[in-house]
Amino acid sequence: MRALGPGSVSSFLKIILDVVYFALWAGVALLSLCALGALLLSFNPELLKGIHISGDDGREVTAKGPLLAGVLAAAALYLGGVLIIVGRLRRIFVTLTAGDPFHPDNVRRLRVVGLVLGGLELGRYAFWGLAAWLAPGSNRIDGGVNLTAWFSVLVVLVLAEIFREGARLRREAELTI
Amino acid sequence: MAIRVQLDRVLAERRMSLTELADRVGVTIANLSILKTGKARAIRFSTLDALCRELGCQPGDLVVFEPGPGDDDDFEEELQGGLS
Repeated sequence: MRALGPGSVSSFLKIILDVVYFALWAGVALLSLCALGALLLSFNPELLKGIHISGDDGREVTAKGPLLAGVLAAAALYLGGVLIIVGRLRRIFVTLTAGDPFHPDNVRRLRVVGLVLGGLELGRYAFWGLAAWLAPGSNRIDGGVNLTAWFSVLVVLVLAEIFREGARLRREAELTI
Repeated sequence: MAIRVQLDRVLAERRMSLTELADRVGVTIANLSILKTGKARAIRFSTLDALCRELGCQPGDLVVFEPGPGDDDDFEEELQGGLS
């Protein structure tokens, strides 16, 4: 089975990425709406009486509205980051499906993927710190350093440089008569 | 780059059009235009061989070295610009 070109593994993966991309759009939109709703409801705490958020020690969290809005907004931001990554991957896979992996734009796309991956990891630490500060009893997020994530960031950035070299060779080949 | 391709001069001396040369050599007009306008980065020996055979000339008639100011290799910069 071919890896590149029409009808190859790349085109199959491109279809999967398309589906994930539109699902992520829906997820981001839904989470943003929910965050906005939670923020609006936080002005009237009576409406949030039915929602119970308690910490590990069993105590009820007081600022439920802002907490919910913050968590939902953070989740929307996280999904937004994933959306950017999947969007760039989709465009890369379009070039792979066309049989042109060393398209010059793929360098920038891969670099964006690497930077967003790093940004998401940093965002996780920030969210963990904020949650530990705002709701100490209910913080269940892992704030530890994920070496796999940082390794992925470095691999993607190195891949971007490999693609830059490929694009340079491609350009030279184009101008060799 | 200080290497100049003098394909247009040789063609004019032979009173041959670029289209006719492209047909004879088996290289597309687009590629011959790249060569003629000095945008090419390299030329294959096989292409040079075919050009010299069809034009009845030596490689030195087609390619000359003319150093001058501003002839630094800016290909890398051009590439960087194209990628960013």
